[in-house]
Amino acid sequence: MILLLQYTLIFASVLMLVALGGCFSEHSGVINIGLEGIMLIGALGGALAMKFIPTSVGAPVMILCVILAAALFGMLASLFLAVAAITFKADQTITGTAINMLAVAGATVAVKAMNTAASGGSDVSSEIAYTAAREFFTVRIGSFQFNWFMLVGLICLLVSYVCLYKTRFGLRLMACGEHPQAADSVGINVAKMRYAGVLISGLLGGLGGIVYITAGTNAWKFENGVAGFGFLALAVMIFGAWHPVKIALAALLFGFFRALGNVYTGIPFMAALKLNSTVYNMLPYIISLIVLAFTSKKSRAPKAEGIPYDKSQR
Amino acid sequence: MDNTPYAIEMLNITKRFPGIIANDNVTLRLRRGEIHALLGENGAGKSTLMSVLFGLYKPEEGVIKKDGKEVQIRDPNDANDLGIGMVHQHFKLVECFTVLDNIILGVEPTDKAGFIRKEEARKKVMELSERYGLKVDPDAVIEDISVGMQQRTEILKMLYRDNEILIFDEPTAVLTPQEIEELLKIMKNLAAEGKSILFISHKLNEIMSVADRCSILRKGKYIGTVDIAKTDKAELSRMMVGRDVEFVVHKEPAKPGDTVLEVSDMTVASKVHKNNAVKNVSFKVRSGEIVCIAGIDGNGQSELVYGISGLEPLVGGSLKLCGKDITRAPIRRRSTAGMSHIPEDRHKHGLVLDYTLEDNIVLQRYFEPEFTKMGFLRRKNIRAYAERLIGQYDVRSGQGPVTVARSMSGGNQQKAIIAREIDKDPRLLIAVQPTRGLDVGAIEYIHSQIVAQRDAGKAVLLVSLELDEVMNVSDRILVMYEGEIVGEFDPKKTTVEELGLYMAGARRMEVRG
Amino acid sequence: MKENKRSLGRRLIENDGVQTLLASLLCVLGGLLIGFIVLLVIEPSAAWGSITAVVKNFFRYPASLRGKYLGQTIVRTVPLLMCALSVLFAYKVGMFNIGAAGQYVIGACATLYCAIALKLPWIVCLLAGAAAGALLGAVSGVLKTLCNVNVVISGIMLNWISLYFTNNLLSRGGIKRPTGPETIQLINANPDALLPTLGLDKLFGEKSAGIAIPLALVIAVLVWVVLNKTKFGYELRATGNNPNAAKYAGMRENRNIILTMAIAGGLAGLGASLFFLTGLVDWETSISSVPDMGFNGIAVAFLGGLSPLGSILSAFFIQHITSGGGGVDLRFYSSQISSLISSLIIFLCAFVGFFKLAIQNRIRKGDEKRAADKPADTGKGGESQ
Repeated sequence: MILLLQYTLIFASVLMLVALGGCFSEHSGVINIGLEGIMLIGALGGALAMKFIPTSVGAPVMILCVILAAALFGMLASLFLAVAAITFKADQTITGTAINMLAVAGATVAVKAMNTAASGGSDVSSEIAYTAAREFFTVRIGSFQFNWFMLVGLICLLVSYVCLYKTRFGLRLMACGEHPQAADSVGINVAKMRYAGVLISGLLGGLGGIVYITAGTNAWKFENGVAGFGFLALAVMIFGAWHPVKIALAALLFGFFRALGNVYTGIPFMAALKLNSTVYNMLPYIISLIVLAFTSKKSRAPKAEGIPYDKSQR
Repeated sequence: MDNTPYAIEMLNITKRFPGIIANDNVTLRLRRGEIHALLGENGAGKSTLMSVLFGLYKPEEGVIKKDGKEVQIRDPNDANDLGIGMVHQHFKLVECFTVLDNIILGVEPTDKAGFIRKEEARKKVMELSERYGLKVDPDAVIEDISVGMQQRTEILKMLYRDNEILIFDEPTAVLTPQEIEELLKIMKNLAAEGKSILFISHKLNEIMSVADRCSILRKGKYIGTVDIAKTDKAELSRMMVGRDVEFVVHKEPAKPGDTVLEVSDMTVASKVHKNNAVKNVSFKVRSGEIVCIAGIDGNGQSELVYGISGLEPLVGGSLKLCGKDITRAPIRRRSTAGMSHIPEDRHKHGLVLDYTLEDNIVLQRYFEPEFTKMGFLRRKNIRAYAERLIGQYDVRSGQGPVTVARSMSGGNQQKAIIAREIDKDPRLLIAVQPTRGLDVGAIEYIHSQIVAQRDAGKAVLLVSLELDEVMNVSDRILVMYEGEIVGEFDPKKTTVEELGLYMAGARRMEVRG
Repeated sequence: MKENKRSLGRRLIENDGVQTLLASLLCVLGGLLIGFIVLLVIEPSAAWGSITAVVKNFFRYPASLRGKYLGQTIVRTVPLLMCALSVLFAYKVGMFNIGAAGQYVIGACATLYCAIALKLPWIVCLLAGAAAGALLGAVSGVLKTLCNVNVVISGIMLNWISLYFTNNLLSRGGIKRPTGPETIQLINANPDALLPTLGLDKLFGEKSAGIAIPLALVIAVLVWVVLNKTKFGYELRATGNNPNAAKYAGMRENRNIILTMAIAGGLAGLGASLFFLTGLVDWETSISSVPDMGFNGIAVAFLGGLSPLGSILSAFFIQHITSGGGGVDLRFYSSQISSLISSLIIFLCAFVGFFKLAIQNRIRKGDEKRAADKPADTGKGGESQ
């Protein structure tokens, strides 16, 4: 049961981080379908940091560096979306889809090239192992394995909430996603705010990526992507009505269903059901589809999302 | 710098667009503390001139002076910095924000960390609100409040920024008469407190009652500036349209025949608010007459037409077309049963803008055997039909039938719709603001077409916001106020003033069509 | 107006097809260029040889084998083209069918289940694949019309659901090979399910070449005809361009949306059938991410200028370089370099709209100017700003 709680919390952290990222991007008016790809690139950044930074630096430095690397890589990936969607007013859905594909292909090519070069051609896999560094992120409390990323998630949640609803930045950001013409008419630079929104989503998405790949394994094969977690996060965001606190609750719910897939063998009555593991893999998606079917009628996305802002049309 | 009485001077402004001179050597001088009206028809160049003042367009010639000093206005921020504020015709308010958030957006008082100091902002807003008599609830969300309060929010936005020069762009179009009266009072208050106001309008009554001076534009040219105290409506209107008499539609008396449309106790829900937009409305339209629905924008006219045409379902009541019940008939069946509809918004409903002109011309008939055979479109017939209509109704476009509708001018787009709807040979023609945004030539043409339809024995239901159009074109006038029909008039026996009272809700009579 | 006196160059540049072709070529070149730069960064010495291998694809083999590899490339082009048709069909009606990937997966699932488990003949398997895809597409359509769920979001969810469902169903005994993750080869399980070859196998010297190739071409033409020549297509495009006007004209929006998604899904599902029934490959039940086929379909559709006929060319091209990816110098690079290039191309496709629009705006401005210069043009200039 404790294992279930542990996995629920860690998966919820992932979903919440990424959904918060989506929340910032959409509040600024840019739909971010590319979160899946952004997660993967963020994960790549974090994994590289874990691989190459010697463990001798100690836990705090390692944690900080990994977080920074993941955030930075995530932001770089999101820059692709920002440039295309904001500066060039490209279709946000196509761009996002392209980023997802680019991320998988790019990460695979890069990691394979790296492995091939390092091994002299004997290792052509797209895998990065980070067994040693991963130890730094967990603290055992009894049989519960606390992960520092849970704390990171909590901090990001608080900061996001305050940022969106208490600061000048948040007010202006949301104005750009709701009514960019109004924002523009009071002197707010819509393009700048949208860049900020997308880059923050890259930061949070990248963080979510590293949390995801370190959640249950000691190595990650990058050609596998992140198994649709970025898309699940989008569902969490919609279900959470673009509001940080509701997103957190939605993430807990979805995280729970996702965690079931990891631990059901350890829970007697569920193991007795003898369901195939694919059923548990499917579960979060089925649940999210059902939830969306019942909530979408009323859901209110930021009004101007998906529409490139054109100064000449007022 | 205070040796000039002018707050803003726009001197010899010329702004050209490809093929058209929107402002031709226009001069506008706004005195401090005055209410200065800017009068002109649609397309006279008022909006362009204001866009120049706001830094949205760069003029080819001319200078702008503030307090006698020449200034450069490159974008709205420059205008803001110079203390110029504007209430746009379409409000620039974030609908899911509160009144307070909308007012402070862009100039939020914050502490060093970037946190908004809401209490400070609220105090300032409440002070302004009391001082100028602008009643608002700072914590109400914009989408829940009345249009009047939204406008007061816009005004507070300008005052919160300490703007000295306030531009009101056609502010009364969306207001009820009471709200208009209140607004005019507020404007006078503001001027008395030393603000300088530019009031853009084409409504002579309002200008006469509130403005000190008035500048007139016609077809991009500056006609003159007059003192309101020394002029009258006749002179203003002469300067605005460039001829003495109001243009009158020539038509024979109506010869009404059988009832074509019968509306009984119709109720239609509103998409904007929770109440019904149309409440228990009943009336008839007979063949050979033009019935006009008059009223101020937003009193249920659009929803009335949506209900009749089938775009919105009825909450209650029934509809009959030529004696047959069509209360629940789908749109297509109403159309084939003889209903034609010239919609209010030609871009939203009337045209598929990315379709060619010919494809738009068959939009209501593409499924007929003449244009479709075994599921395939009969391109040759469509082309021939489109060419006939283009010729007959003089629809002009770059490449004829294959012109993409988006690239056509507004007047010709409207002509294409009118050709399509009239050529369907309907029993009932519904026309909603068919002349909106068009110039005099196009208006004249469209009015004559509508009268010709009546003379051909069609029933015509015309919805119009322009009282001149109402008086000149219609045979019978129904006034709508807050979703109800509050009066029925014969245009020959009533006056604009009388209609105005009913449109404002000041009077009502019991009407059963 | 002097329409007839306009120069050939201007008429060419005004032609939508020409603009699209130019833009698409630009994307392709850009993608190849960036791909080349990536190769250079990884290992300069082998970069040129590898990028040419990608572009050459089957040409890099000796003449006797070229036919075979060309045949394989074409066989793999078929499902890609079908997915592209699925995407563009939905796009014309205003929907982004990212769910093509899942519709393709579920199509494969139904096809292989019918072929291997139920031992049904090929024609039934083919129809089953199309029906399964259509059903999944219709689910998206229904969710959109009844529950207001965005087609993109439901499509993504259904992609994953289909993947896990398919892996589950196809890994059962009698369908999956006892020794590996793949399904049992059709030739062993049920040769009747293999598509007829019509002699094309002999032409290319490749067993898998067959009826799927002409069938896909016919379907592409059919899609073009339906969209552009029929009343149904007229309604669908109107709904896509302006749903309000479509409603005003009495078209039934909800019905059209569901029908469109079902057809789009059917196309993607049929694509899977036409691929897996060739026997060239088998379904791998261990894959943990949604196959790229549907997503590549998006690239193909946009690269082909959202035209069914253009898509035939772009599908072949994308498959050509994807197959060519196997030819890179594997001592330094991985074959995914071609996925990188095709995803770069789709990314660049997002900019195409921008460039095309810029060209069109310039042309339109010129037209307006000329129209305005005509003195008698009533209505012009009458619009308020």
